[in-house]
Amino acid sequence: MNGNIGVYVCECGPNIGEKIDIDKVLEAIASLPHVKVAKRFGLLCSNDGKKYLEDEMRKEELTHVVIAACSPRDHEQTFMTVAERAGLNPYLVQLVNIREQCAWMIPDKEAATEKAIKYIRAGISRVSLHQALTKKELEVCTDVLVIGGGISGIETALSLAGEDRKVFIVEKSEELGGKANKLSRLLPHQGSTLSLIQEKIDTLNKNAHIEVFTGSQVVDARGFLGNFEVVIQKGENAGEQEIKVGAVVVATGFDLFNPEENPAYGLGKVDNVVTSLQLEEMIKTEKVLLKNGKPPRSLALIHCVGRSEKGYCSKTCCLNILKNAHFLKDKIKDVDVTEIYRDLCLPNKADQDYYEEVEKKGVKFLRSNEIVNIKAEGGQISVEYKIDGKSKKISVDMAVLSPAMIPSADSKKIAEMLNLPLDPTGFIKEAHGMLEPIATPIEGVFAAGCSLGPKNIPESIIQAQATAGNIISSLIPGKKIKPEVKVSVVREEFCTGCQTCLSVCFYGAISFDPHKGVSVVNEAICRGCGSCVGSCPSGAIRSKHFTYTQLYREVLEALR
Amino acid sequence: MKQHNVMVVGAGVAGMKASLLLAQAGVKVHLIERESLIGGQTIKFEEVYPNMECATCMVAPIQQDVLQNEDIEVSLLSTLKKVEEKSDSYEVEIEKKARYVSLENCIGCNACFDPCPVELDNTFEENLSKKKAISVPCPGALPNVPTIDPANCLRLNGKKKDCKACQEACMFDAVDFSQKDEKVKIDVGAIIVTTGFDMFDVKPLDEYGYGKYPNVYTAMEFERLYAQNGPTEGKLVLRDDKPIKSIGIIHCIGRKELGYCSGVCCMYSAKIAQFLKHKAPDAKIHEFYRDLCIPGKSYQNFYESTRKKGVNFIRFNEIHVGKSNGNIEITCSEENGQDQKIKADMVILSPALIPGKDTETLAKILGVGLDTHGFFATQNQQLSPVITEKKGIFIAGCAEGPKDIPDSIAQAEAAVGKVLLHLQ
Repeated sequence: MNGNIGVYVCECGPNIGEKIDIDKVLEAIASLPHVKVAKRFGLLCSNDGKKYLEDEMRKEELTHVVIAACSPRDHEQTFMTVAERAGLNPYLVQLVNIREQCAWMIPDKEAATEKAIKYIRAGISRVSLHQALTKKELEVCTDVLVIGGGISGIETALSLAGEDRKVFIVEKSEELGGKANKLSRLLPHQGSTLSLIQEKIDTLNKNAHIEVFTGSQVVDARGFLGNFEVVIQKGENAGEQEIKVGAVVVATGFDLFNPEENPAYGLGKVDNVVTSLQLEEMIKTEKVLLKNGKPPRSLALIHCVGRSEKGYCSKTCCLNILKNAHFLKDKIKDVDVTEIYRDLCLPNKADQDYYEEVEKKGVKFLRSNEIVNIKAEGGQISVEYKIDGKSKKISVDMAVLSPAMIPSADSKKIAEMLNLPLDPTGFIKEAHGMLEPIATPIEGVFAAGCSLGPKNIPESIIQAQATAGNIISSLIPGKKIKPEVKVSVVREEFCTGCQTCLSVCFYGAISFDPHKGVSVVNEAICRGCGSCVGSCPSGAIRSKHFTYTQLYREVLEALR
Repeated sequence: MKQHNVMVVGAGVAGMKASLLLAQAGVKVHLIERESLIGGQTIKFEEVYPNMECATCMVAPIQQDVLQNEDIEVSLLSTLKKVEEKSDSYEVEIEKKARYVSLENCIGCNACFDPCPVELDNTFEENLSKKKAISVPCPGALPNVPTIDPANCLRLNGKKKDCKACQEACMFDAVDFSQKDEKVKIDVGAIIVTTGFDMFDVKPLDEYGYGKYPNVYTAMEFERLYAQNGPTEGKLVLRDDKPIKSIGIIHCIGRKELGYCSGVCCMYSAKIAQFLKHKAPDAKIHEFYRDLCIPGKSYQNFYESTRKKGVNFIRFNEIHVGKSNGNIEITCSEENGQDQKIKADMVILSPALIPGKDTETLAKILGVGLDTHGFFATQNQQLSPVITEKKGIFIAGCAEGPKDIPDSIAQAEAAVGKVLLHLQ
């Protein structure tokens, strides 16, 4: 290399100053090749310290800087900013942690000093191999594609569309509203679901910045945050349309577990065994009737249908069943309503009050561990269930099954198209289950509502609004985005085209160029995690800020 | 977009995530926090379900981002005193208590603790350990700068006016007794309230033996006992040092009294059982629950893995913690009417989540309503879960009702979306 390296050791007051012999450190490194200056300072992160460093970088005409101080977590950014202000590329600065890793770890001053010298030497040899990296700026498209026109999709569009942001909704069925269309009402106190949805659809139709494609499907979508190219297949024979958007929201909702999968439930075989959606339909038309046209005198509402099969709780069914029980008690005189449940899952603050209200109406609650079978018996339906190892039975006129929520039929296809991972339940996997509940690993692709897992309407609305919050803050009209610069690059001459890297990339940043037979990293998507570098059998992929040579030389010096 | 400032009240996960997202949108944020540190309740947990991630490690990068973000001005030890509604903004008066330690000068070396002559209960550690009158709540607190408690510092409370033990120990000129509490007025275009929750107080309830028997703990006490940065550095030691052979974890503490399910206790109780299996592998663990509420796509798996580890789940109707032959004995009646008696060396109570203690005062100051349980009311819980009756004031996280971390964050992000539209 040609250049001047400056090494600055921070005393961090007594933290390093008293635990490490800094003069000895300076003496050991001052004569190393290319080290122009090696100096100590009281507290480099203080305002005086930062000023001092900036002046030094200019005065000594440094090309590379090593700072031996604290953890990069504390002050790497601080010193990179100082370098930038001094006109030095911030990636030519290396922070060496001699506080946490030397001074605080090793009580023996001499040993701590020895270790610090090795670490600083390692930092010097590494920094001399650093490349100046420059942030690129990319223009963004602020428009958004929403896949799915249910309540989540509608709410997302309503929360986003405006003067400087157009939203496209692509819905595969002929009308908007999704599954909520099939529900009779929200909770009894909250009015009809249909009018809620209609109100939202009316607002949506009045919004000139929302374009709706019903009976349509997204057949291709590729790109990255700010720049996606999407192909929409419109209707049966209406052809394709290409659009450009900056973000994609997957709001493809859910399907219901089919109780016919388990013959014990009797659906399709036993008369008057229906699903909760069929009951909702009867409630909507106010015709809750048996096959013989008479109103039922007794009903069993059966919870958790499909829970064991699917392995998770759908969390909305308990409340929804309570709602239906409430309705039945109100509308059918002297009707006997029994809920057969496992555990009541009422995790929202208003749920328990509602449960108590339903209980007061005379709805009975029977706990069961398992439904054994549902069959016709003596003109009625017998529901046999197990509790604490014992079998019990009740007879009713009508049995209503409440099936679990499962991923929608299309979710797999859409996930594949967008390169999104699914979790073991088949729902879309969050970027981080705790901290990023509506983001996916693909930057610019979000998910909302039941595409991520079972949810009630308010939770779906919150998630829709949350995707809007994220998109409005990341795609700002006129503002460019700056992707990560410490990315991976493929050296085409070494790439054998084995595509191992494609399978390990969490962010979907790598694609395969079939003409050249090599992998290609999209630098706008790559986050520089290095998984591909580690996995590449021929060493063809290189991380720009963690090259093999940099790491090798660094380790070599540390061990020497 | 008009560039108004936004105030976020409460620096837990919801408040921090909201602030970062607002800053990303180019909005200037005033993040107000009552305590001396940011991070809220999450940083008290060693690990969080269902992936058993280290919570402090998970949140630390967010805390750092908040503290380093130039568009977020964090006011610690601060509370809202007055909010005046103007035509399209709010004028907020903040009371900022003195820290007596300079955030700029202090490097967090902790040299000031030892010389301080005053020892106090550490409330952050659920009083399981002592701290000095100059202290940080726990190792790793961010910002890593101590606070002097003026009520107990001998110099500041006037008992020994010339004490300067901490000041002399500080090599960075960071201790500053001349700091004063101050009132600051800030104009903001919108306010997001993310003041979180408290835990239901188990002390007044006689039947659980809390306070009567030393080895009855609350879940939060247990969290600190288990934490690597807690009072025992993660060592599971009982208050009376006895060995642990049998443990009872009791769910739903306060549910009946409060009239709602908190939605998170079953899962955090199962998490505690998994912790215990790890730290006390030979102990028998009994979970006493009413209804299992495990509403998440991966939660049932977590529950089943807890069961597979040998944790005994018992459904109860009534429960009582008493003593027999000098040992703690849990008596519970099951749903089928049968009684069970189980001896336990340690009992952990899993209390409900309740509104934060300042909720009522804050609601009055803001002019927004509360729901029947004392949480902040939103305009329509079903359809506008973040909007209050006051234009420009939004609620997110547990301030609105009990919820887990991802739901709190989703609500915070939803509030940000609403704020950004509101400011347009």
